[in-house]
Amino acid sequence: MAAELKKAIYPENATIGLPTQHRFDPYTLNGGTIVGVAGDNFAILAGDTRLSEGFMIHSRDTSKIYKLTEKTFLGTCGFQGDVLTLTRLLNARLTMYEFEHRKKMSSTAISQMLSTVLYYRRFFPYYTFNILAGIDTDGKGCIYSYDAVGNYEKHTYHASGTASSMLQPLLDNQVGYLNQEGVRRVPLTIDKARTLIKDVFISATERDMYTGDSLHIVTITSDGVTEDHFPLRRD
Amino acid sequence: MFMTRSEYDRGVNTFSPEGRLFQVEYAIEAIKLGSTAIGIKTSEGIVLAVERRITSPLTEPESMEKILKIDNHIGCAMSGLIADSRTLVDTARVESQSHWFTYNETMTVESVTHTVSKLTLQFGDDDAGAGAMSRPFGVALLFAGIDEKGPQLFHLDPSGTYFECEAKAIGSGSEGAQSQLHELYHQNMNMKEALITVLTILKQVMEEKIDSNNVEVMLIANVQRGNFLH
Amino acid sequence: MTGKNCVAIAADRRFGIQAQTIGHEFQRIYGMSDHLYIGFSGLATDVTTVSNKLKFRLNMYMLRENREMKPETFMSLVSSLLYEKRFGPYFVEPVIAGLDKNAKPFVGSLDLIGCPMITEDFVVSGTASEQLYGMCESLWEPDLEADDLFESISQALLNAVDRDCVSGWGGIVYVIEKDKVTEKILKARMD
Repeated sequence: MAAELKKAIYPENATIGLPTQHRFDPYTLNGGTIVGVAGDNFAILAGDTRLSEGFMIHSRDTSKIYKLTEKTFLGTCGFQGDVLTLTRLLNARLTMYEFEHRKKMSSTAISQMLSTVLYYRRFFPYYTFNILAGIDTDGKGCIYSYDAVGNYEKHTYHASGTASSMLQPLLDNQVGYLNQEGVRRVPLTIDKARTLIKDVFISATERDMYTGDSLHIVTITSDGVTEDHFPLRRD
Repeated sequence: MFMTRSEYDRGVNTFSPEGRLFQVEYAIEAIKLGSTAIGIKTSEGIVLAVERRITSPLTEPESMEKILKIDNHIGCAMSGLIADSRTLVDTARVESQSHWFTYNETMTVESVTHTVSKLTLQFGDDDAGAGAMSRPFGVALLFAGIDEKGPQLFHLDPSGTYFECEAKAIGSGSEGAQSQLHELYHQNMNMKEALITVLTILKQVMEEKIDSNNVEVMLIANVQRGNFLH
Repeated sequence: MTGKNCVAIAADRRFGIQAQTIGHEFQRIYGMSDHLYIGFSGLATDVTTVSNKLKFRLNMYMLRENREMKPETFMSLVSSLLYEKRFGPYFVEPVIAGLDKNAKPFVGSLDLIGCPMITEDFVVSGTASEQLYGMCESLWEPDLEADDLFESISQALLNAVDRDCVSGWGGIVYVIEKDKVTEKILKARMD
């Protein structure tokens, strides 16, 4: 009788009496999407400005695009804590390089440095997904994309972040002309690239709840940099 | 040479009342015992040449290396206590490779010289890392290479002072050689003229008769590799 | 994907077990009646089973009632069939495309336990669904003619499956119009 009563009160799978286990999770996914497109003499980097966590929007106006040098910008999303640390570290490294070598860092040098910086945290990575955009030493636009541990590749266009899987195939199609036969491959212009980026973000915002609010577009040419803001859905 | 010998010339990191670091000055003097090394910069590249003092006919001249490669685009000639240069050259090589690893670009000659210069003043420091010694280095270096700014020639002495030169001589015959350089050097020299100039000057300042065994030459032209000529 | 008096349904042709590709002529779209098509993503054995069961029930309905089944009705049929196995479901996510008797397009999808969703524009399903959403969201527009609808759905499919490593190996498209159904096999990258 007593045994049955005990079983009724404490079912077999009950955890009563056991210590509650707590675990520290050092990472959060704060969402967001970035896109980079490189042309012959320009590079465009765009990112939404929503900062979220689960079903919560922390901010509708936090840009994911960071200026590194006059010619190089970094778009980064993932865990905002790591994003902030990483961008500050990069700025410090940039300043140190300038003092040490008496010149500005080139986009290619920054691209390699970012890879090593990320790889040095191979076993406790910065949870960030980066796209580096800039003008290289030949005056050509360049885009580099990274995973969290520093694997990187040079592209002409790339999407990263929560809506990347929605944007990437569209860029393949519209910028890379993939799966299009007999089409004339006209060189991408700044205006066309910018319009396309707006379009793909409007589409992404429809389906990805972590992407939205506003779009921050940075256009880099050897003549200078222009920044645009474009409203997106806020729901 | 100095007023009196005093206790200040023993401690390596103690200033004399006149504000001098005797050990560093003595180290610079040590260079003047070394064999002569000359470097000339031209618009096409750089010529480095060093005298080899062959004390015995039984030594293999090839084994006395005083011009070393730092990287595919940088070479280094030396004079003084050659053994002291090992750690410096090693540092230069490691830093140059590390720069390539981190930034995927070649290191400038100035940056290499700068990094090595940081090591030269770390003597007598108990906390300094490996590579630092208890006394100053007794060697002077000529860093030559081609980087984004074109041909570059830098001179580094034991005090850590470095500067860019168009033509520079170091070592025992440096005084004579330097004044010769003043006369013979001009800015639109080509590599061949520079090589002849360097060898002419070496011939004059060397005690031995110059031949293919007792002089070492490195040409760094507008190609990536330094070519060794003997 | 809906168009003007037409509707299209497309799928890839890969048959594989996780990363291993076994065949590239797998048929995951079934014509249920003249203007009613259904496609499935998911477990191949359940795809065949469910499609057969549906065909059986649809044929019984048409014999008994002596009329075509409306797409909405068919969707309810799929939904109830799937919900019968609420706690041991068929591992399929169906997509239905059809025209009703007024040539009004219909698209809808269901999850594996039969929760239905009907939309005005397009529905997607399967491992490349995120990619498909991105493509369709940009390429679809209202009242596409049959040819344009074919182009849109084909581009959406091809570019989406190219970014999914377990989809692709060819594609198939059906464009359903009032008086004809066009079947086209799409050539795609086979890796």
